[in-house]
Amino acid sequence: MTLNDLAPLIPLMVIAVSSVIIMLGIAFYRSRAFSGLLTLAGIAVAFITLFGVQGTRQVTSLLILDDYALFYIGLILAASFVVALLSSDYLEGRRENIEEFYILLLLSTLGSSVLAASTHFVSFFIGLEILSVSLYALIAYTRNELNIEAGVKYLVLAAASSAFLLFGIALLYGETGTMEFSRMSSGISAQGINKGMLLTGFALVLTGVGFKLAVAPFHMWTPDVYEGAPAPVTAFVATVSKGGVFALLLRYFIQVDMHAYPSLFGAVAFIAVASMFAGNLLALLQKNIKRILAYSSIAHLGYLLVAFLAGGVMRVTAVTFYLVAYFITTLGAFGVVTMLSGKERDADAVEDYQGLFRHRPWLALIFSAMLFSLAGIPLTAGFIGKFYIVAAGAGSALWLLVIMLVINSAIGLYYYLRIIVVLYAQPGHSEVSAVSSLPLTGSLVLVLLTVLLLWLGVYPEPLIEMIHRMTMRF
Amino acid sequence: MNTPFYIAAAVAVISTFMVITRRNAVHALLYLIVSLLSVALIFFLLGAPFVAALEIIIYAGAIMVLFVFVIMMLNLGPQSTEMERRWLTPEIWVGPTILTALLAAELLYVLVRVQVRPSDINVITPKQVGIALLGPYVLGVELASLLLLAGLVGAFHLGRREKSDGGGRA
Repeated sequence: MTLNDLAPLIPLMVIAVSSVIIMLGIAFYRSRAFSGLLTLAGIAVAFITLFGVQGTRQVTSLLILDDYALFYIGLILAASFVVALLSSDYLEGRRENIEEFYILLLLSTLGSSVLAASTHFVSFFIGLEILSVSLYALIAYTRNELNIEAGVKYLVLAAASSAFLLFGIALLYGETGTMEFSRMSSGISAQGINKGMLLTGFALVLTGVGFKLAVAPFHMWTPDVYEGAPAPVTAFVATVSKGGVFALLLRYFIQVDMHAYPSLFGAVAFIAVASMFAGNLLALLQKNIKRILAYSSIAHLGYLLVAFLAGGVMRVTAVTFYLVAYFITTLGAFGVVTMLSGKERDADAVEDYQGLFRHRPWLALIFSAMLFSLAGIPLTAGFIGKFYIVAAGAGSALWLLVIMLVINSAIGLYYYLRIIVVLYAQPGHSEVSAVSSLPLTGSLVLVLLTVLLLWLGVYPEPLIEMIHRMTMRF
Repeated sequence: MNTPFYIAAAVAVISTFMVITRRNAVHALLYLIVSLLSVALIFFLLGAPFVAALEIIIYAGAIMVLFVFVIMMLNLGPQSTEMERRWLTPEIWVGPTILTALLAAELLYVLVRVQVRPSDINVITPKQVGIALLGPYVLGVELASLLLLAGLVGAFHLGRREKSDGGGRA
């Protein structure tokens, strides 16, 4: 590694340095404004420096900064920026210090970015651990009973899934003799490989990754953690943590051709179908907005896996576009929950939203737009995303999966519309909707997200062009 | 000859099983240390003496020290001797002792008869470990430092006492 190799790492270094500066700042003087501004500035500077990275740069065997990695890091940084803005309002006036929140937020963003740029199991595992360890503390951040319970659940299950992942990595390394993704594919096709061992390794890695992505049958923790975590952290878990892992999964299985292993392909197809059905059917029974969104995110990851299973260049485009739409929508939906949440508890019961349109017409409209996008209704980004997934699936003749996807979209429509009906019903007697005034920054963020959502739904060409250019050089 | 490996592996499996099934945390801890020692021996047999030493220093050593600290902080006073006598019944220490003795005997056997180690095993020296860590894996080391930072900040925040409780540092 030379000094020249450091240049492409500047975005990651900016994030790391910002977190260290905030930590040192705490030692002298705690200042919410300073930490908050530094966090936002750090993320913004890192985002800008992404454009300074020219071409594809492999930095040691651990990280690669190609257009794909840069795009995903950009997406992750943008999402963290939104979460940082939302959480400053959310944590304001609570008894907890806010500075550590920013440190952990920056570090988990870094972990997720490292995942997006990983080409080696070492950076994959360390990135994942940075992400998870920061999330343990973030989920339990406000330290009420629900928080702590969610944090402990996540801690135990994430640690167990890391053990599976490590065991899988060890088996793959033992069989192929390398931990680099690019050399692994040639190691796999070499003579005298024990297929059983290899498939066991893949299965264990898939288990570890599946847990992080919260796909069925590894989804049990999702509703509890989503419900227990503070609303902005929930948004973070749903977007940044999953986005980084998915980016890595896609990169790994582009370099190691999954279609050569029918049983592996079958396993992922099973996970996709199981996630879609588990997510959508269980969401029907819920009365808590955060739990509904949790199950809906399980289903959405199932949709994403359909595109993931499709072959060719189309799948990168479909997955990336869908992830962008999913990020915007999820951040928007949890943003609304964050804005309405009081100091005592989060606004997560469906009754809290009854007649929201009468009190806060704009917020209700924004929330409806987000839910329409989740349901995949035209004019929203979610529709274009789903369209691409169906196109990618149909292009690879994955008819069964595509039919499952369509059936599930219909089921999903029911519970999204149920929330929307509640939004426009007669107001009930809820203390949450009577929150005095909405914070300005949060409102601006939500408006921006809605504009993006509609813009991508009506005029997606610029983003698709960008993704195409990215995949060309992949 | 793989017999030393299988003995150490069997000890590891047995002791780990005992860790999981013990009701008393301190008893589980004793078996956990045996489990870590056996893993260290496996590393040694596989030609990684440095990792074996680290395993003992960091895991077995650090856990032992923490254990001692907890005992020191919790059991000050005259009743502690009585408690110790009650704790130290043979059925508690016999199991870990037998397993540890087995490991010690095996280690001695391996050290005395060096040729037991298969010749095709490549022994990794501390120098090679250092070169790998600061060469191709330097980014991994840097990232691991950030991982520790995340753990530290998280533990600090979650373990911090409320101002209103009194006595705690804000």
